[in-house]
Amino acid sequence: MRRKLVRSLVAWLVLAPLIVVILFPFAVMLVTALKPAQEVLSPNWWPSEVRLSNFVEMWQATGFGAALLNSVYVALLSTFVTLLVGIPAAYAAARLPFPGQGPYRQFLLVTQMLSPIVLVIGLFRVAAGFGLLDSVSAVGLIYAAFNTAFAVWMLQSYFATIPKDLEEAAWIEGAGWFRALTSVFLPLATPAMTVTAIFTFINAWNEFVIALTLLRSQGSYTLPIQIFSLVAGRYTVEWHHIMAATLLATLPVAVVFAWLQRYLVRGLALGAVK
Amino acid sequence: MAAAAERIASRATAGRRARAVAPLALVLPSFLLAAFVVLWPLWDLTQLATHSVSRFGQLRGFVGLDTFLDVFADADFRAALLRTGVWTVGVVGGTLLVSLPVALVLNEDFYGRGLARVIVMLPWAVSLTMTAVVWRWALNGESGLLNSALQAAGLIDGNVVWLASAATAFPIQIVIGILVSIPFTVTVFLGGLASVPDDLYEAAALEGAGAWQRFTTITWPLLRPFVTIATVLNVIYVFNSFPIIWVLTQGGPANSTDILVTHLYKLAFRVGRMGEAAAVSLVMFAILLAFTALYVRMVLRREA
Repeated sequence: MRRKLVRSLVAWLVLAPLIVVILFPFAVMLVTALKPAQEVLSPNWWPSEVRLSNFVEMWQATGFGAALLNSVYVALLSTFVTLLVGIPAAYAAARLPFPGQGPYRQFLLVTQMLSPIVLVIGLFRVAAGFGLLDSVSAVGLIYAAFNTAFAVWMLQSYFATIPKDLEEAAWIEGAGWFRALTSVFLPLATPAMTVTAIFTFINAWNEFVIALTLLRSQGSYTLPIQIFSLVAGRYTVEWHHIMAATLLATLPVAVVFAWLQRYLVRGLALGAVK
Repeated sequence: MAAAAERIASRATAGRRARAVAPLALVLPSFLLAAFVVLWPLWDLTQLATHSVSRFGQLRGFVGLDTFLDVFADADFRAALLRTGVWTVGVVGGTLLVSLPVALVLNEDFYGRGLARVIVMLPWAVSLTMTAVVWRWALNGESGLLNSALQAAGLIDGNVVWLASAATAFPIQIVIGILVSIPFTVTVFLGGLASVPDDLYEAAALEGAGAWQRFTTITWPLLRPFVTIATVLNVIYVFNSFPIIWVLTQGGPANSTDILVTHLYKLAFRVGRMGEAAAVSLVMFAILLAFTALYVRMVLRREA
């Protein structure tokens, strides 16, 4: 009992510097978001009063709602499409050996390695050629493509750990191949699919360079781009609005993430590192 | 009789054919999507880099490798290339150095471990863009809260204008890069530590091994593959990382914090030198490919 107390003190002491640095930006967001407008430029930490109305003004002033909708749409679309193409491919890779499996895996490795920034010029030109500049859906599909490699790797290594006997038992009991898949196999694979979905969603939610390049008008901006556009190349930056916006854009994801992070540790241990 | 045998045989062939076709049909959509979004732009980049290109991106004559020679002759490119090396080694090295002890601590059983884990993972949930925007404000020379916090702690006297010169801006960008890479790295390490069987430690403790000995003989060897994977993935992420530098300084002042990604972005979308920007992209692709090949060989050698 006492030993655990001592160990806890040491652990928190070791972690303290890092925790301070991690929480610092959150403190900056919170303090600035709650300051009255005229105090924003004075570098004191404690505002004379707490201005919750900043959040209401911010919603109007920053076009937060529209950008939020775009972000939700693009993240959901890319998560859906990634799972839609990733699950069958991972199933095939784990269960049904096929000719060309080796090259296919290498191809996935290359797409995993190529981040959007290396291809952004080509993507811009291809999108422009199809008249897809400013299309939020096109951006969602591009995110899906960049997440597919991770999804297939992740799902495949998890699928491989599900015993084949379970499906075979279902076949013997007269279930068809599809029935066995949907009522036996896929429910067992839920943890891996959840982790993959969270990853894809967060990646799409946070992506910057593709959105910055392909989305040209404010109506199609996602949250990161909208907030960046309020900072970059302006004479007056309304920092209290921007910090309120970053806080509001960050907190829901942070809460969901905090709640799910144990699954990420487990999922990564099972999947990505095999 | 013969007809029945034939029917069974033909059904078997049909089954075999279905078994051969089914996996391809399952794999095809993922391949098409990735190919369309990866291979086509890659082909387009190759075209751009090997042709003379107008300001509006029209291809003119084939110029072979001339564009690449122009790029390598450019002092800005060479400076950005060198800085990309410093950036990648600095961020990845710093991340590994911080993440290993943090993961070891978070793997111990202590009061509030759940909370500590959540806090350490937190930067992961925040988009790099938002992180960089908040830091841009915190680093503000006159009104930034970093200056007032450091002054209150007695660490600095006057205000420091952090982003005005590369000498302060670039190290700060590296620190932010480390900060946002820690969660993923710690997660990978925690996954690795969770896979170390407890009875190994119990056996070692019975044999009288101390904490350091347990670390060097059990933890580290079993963790090594996880360190390798974390290093490789971090190198790829960090080498390609764009938002931190773009949001904080856009590579400025006077290109002094440019790395390859910001350099190529400016070439393409600020000054419209699409051909050269495409060539820089392909140089980056080649570096990444070489790095990946090296890694794959390392893994294969270990498995063999």
